Amino acid sequence: MTAASTIKAGAALPPFVIESVSPEAMQEWSVFLADPNPIHLDVDVVKSKGLGDKRINQGPINVAYMMNMLMAAFPGCRIESMDSRFLDNVYEGDRAVASGEITAVEGNRVSCDLKLDVDGRGTVNAGTATIII
Amino acid sequence: MEDFPPAPDVAGTSLDGTGTFTISTDENAALCKSTGGKPASDGTAHPIYYYIATQVAMGKSVAGVCETCDFDVEDGPMMGSSGVRFARQLMVGQDYKVTGEILSLVRKKSRKLGVMDVLTYRLRLHPAEGGDAVLETDNVWVLPRKELAA
Repeated sequence: MTAASTIKAGAALPPFVIESVSPEAMQEWSVFLADPNPIHLDVDVVKSKGLGDKRINQGPINVAYMMNMLMAAFPGCRIESMDSRFLDNVYEGDRAVASGEITAVEGNRVSCDLKLDVDGRGTVNAGTATIII
Repeated sequence: MEDFPPAPDVAGTSLDGTGTFTISTDENAALCKSTGGKPASDGTAHPIYYYIATQVAMGKSVAGVCETCDFDVEDGPMMGSSGVRFARQLMVGQDYKVTGEILSLVRKKSRKLGVMDVLTYRLRLHPAEGGDAVLETDNVWVLPRKELAA
């Protein structure tokens, strides 16, 4: 995505794939976030709350996947703004794919639509971003 | 006219932090790895620290924010959305401090969740030594009000 000729409205951004969402990463993020919410750590708690039978990824990790997709598509870019909506949970073991599409280019400012899909359940996070390239 | 009481009046509640937050080289590297990425070589931190730094260093914990809204964190607050506007990139090793406030708490009824309160709060991250914010973020949480379910 580094060639200037490919940076134009309508162009798809290369997907960023997490082959299997990791419960070990959730443990690390409970420390990063200083938030030991057990729905991210303990399957029994998830079951007891009626939220399924797998640990639930912390929401900000899902945003980070989409940021990684942007930074991989535009090496050296700076994110100027980003908004994301949390539409559904991401669970341990999910295959998650962050993707996007350029919606506008003004000078060195590129606007994009973003989404995060998981296999079998569709889009779980969607948003927009403006980056400086 | 809805038959449930209004949400607590919490708009304007300060979320200013009292401590500082520093992104360490090791933690940034671990975080990047945990998301399938690699740390930058120019001293910038992963941009998701916008959320982590503000959330960790704001003046209340998540449970404390919920308590302010008269909501038990055990009842399961849900992230609705998160937005951020960066003025500058985040740097590893820089000390930051947080200012912020609750913008609104609005009670609504939805088909899926029943009665819920929609909490919006704004946080800003500043260099600890002072100066303009390097970012501003608005987070929206949904607080399902099971006790008000029909």
